[in-house]
Amino acid sequence: MSELFADYRRVTMPLSREDARSLRAGDMVLLDGEITITAGLPTHHRILKCVEDGIDPPIPLQGQSLLHLGSYSQDKPDGGLEVLYMNPTTSTRFNPLMPRLIRHFGLTAVGGKGGLDAGCREAMAEVGCVYFSFLGGGAPLHSAAITAVKEVAWNDLVAHYRLVRLAVNGLGPVTVGIDAHGNSLFETLSQQAQDRMPEILAQMGRERVG
Amino acid sequence: MTFLGKESLSAMPITQEAVKTLSAQLYDWSLRRVPDDTKDALRRARATETHEGAQRVLEIMLGSALRAEQTDRFVCSDAGVPVFRVTLGANARWEGDLKAAIVEGFDELVGRIQPPLLKHVTNPLTNERGYKGKDMPLVTWEVESGVDWIEIACQPKALGSGRWAQAETFSFPSLADIEAYVMKAVMQAGSQHCPPVIIGVGIGGSFDVAAKIASKATYRAIGSVNPEPVLAAMEERLLHAVNATGFGPMGTGGDTTALAVHVDYSAGHGYTPVAICFNCWINRRTRARIHADGTVERME
Ligand code: SF4
Repeated sequence: MSELFADYRRVTMPLSREDARSLRAGDMVLLDGEITITAGLPTHHRILKCVEDGIDPPIPLQGQSLLHLGSYSQDKPDGGLEVLYMNPTTSTRFNPLMPRLIRHFGLTAVGGKGGLDAGCREAMAEVGCVYFSFLGGGAPLHSAAITAVKEVAWNDLVAHYRLVRLAVNGLGPVTVGIDAHGNSLFETLSQQAQDRMPEILAQMGRERVG
Repeated sequence: MTFLGKESLSAMPITQEAVKTLSAQLYDWSLRRVPDDTKDALRRARATETHEGAQRVLEIMLGSALRAEQTDRFVCSDAGVPVFRVTLGANARWEGDLKAAIVEGFDELVGRIQPPLLKHVTNPLTNERGYKGKDMPLVTWEVESGVDWIEIACQPKALGSGRWAQAETFSFPSLADIEAYVMKAVMQAGSQHCPPVIIGVGIGGSFDVAAKIASKATYRAIGSVNPEPVLAAMEERLLHAVNATGFGPMGTGGDTTALAVHVDYSAGHGYTPVAICFNCWINRRTRARIHADGTVERME
């Protein structure tokens, strides 16, 4: 697959503030380096509890990425972990929690699928953070890009809810859905669809008669 | 059509074991392969897309589908929960407990499937997740006159492909009212259900019937023509309308937000429920029949 995606820009994770600001909504890139992921709502609550208690989460998040990706890993005979699959989950359900996490940890990248709302977009523009849209149904591609499982925390949670740090090579391509300059494809497209709706409905009316 | 094997040539009853095995296989198969009609539709969309980013996203989708087949891995790690539609031929003969067969089939699959399934079965009262739960797998039972087979169809449902379904009840709605409501649901789903989607619409009947026929409509093959001319025209209108919204593949912009809109109806009273549901681009969907002689025929 990597040959197929040879013409995409590659960025190193955790994303530097500079790289984050260099990306524009609609850009498509491949990710190399280290990412932190979870697909769990309870996980987000635990991270927020850490923030409230003034302690560090088990995997440090300062200046890191926090991506809404769920994974399933299995013990390898040599003692390591092998990720059998990984895929994004719908980010919008974390809307109320993300602005605080983005600001507190100064995250440089968040992501998943479906986007985040205006409150998150504002927090992202403040700190210099982007949202990566991953392909849902992209498990075979996403999983193949994982080179190592670096750390797994909160093992009492179901597999995809755990906080996991992974090394990746050529993860994606992902689309910059929200950039660090206040542009969100999700908001723009939703507004555009709303603006188009009167004409769409009128057109259906004409077709119904004709 | 593939014939998977003959267990018996005599008109023996269809067994509990056969239903157990096949229902588990259908779930397993659905996770590893994007149906051919769906891949074809994605290729056609890639050819007609005017939005460059969308062409690329469609290309990546086809790449993912291909790689899943080559590596025998899941297309999406959110394997969802098992959802079946079982059609019992009115002349079919069977022995044993077919309801238990489907529960047992899923239990056994959980124990052996590679890669393993995540715990997605959720108790809605506590949000606890596991592999078992009340009424799980979710099964819709139907009876069809004049045939002696049992057909099982499987369409696992996960958050993105399940969450955006909705229904509303109108009184004596016009077609314009119904279509406007479909567009409202499309707007609410927006970018979040892994488009391009397959949309099922059920009109009329009672509340439960509308939902049932909407769901059934999503199983229809892409490109098949609705035999009811009013609905065939409605499907075409709605497909153009949905794609004019511009949400595009993965909701990041483009001309392809839906691959198909399938509509069905039932007569009702005049209070008219309208139900809408979605299947995401991977369109997990498998179907097979067990014939009276024990032959298993895989349809997709
Ligand atoms: S909507 Fe479909 S493709 Fe997207 S994450 Fe859910 S199951 Fe996977």
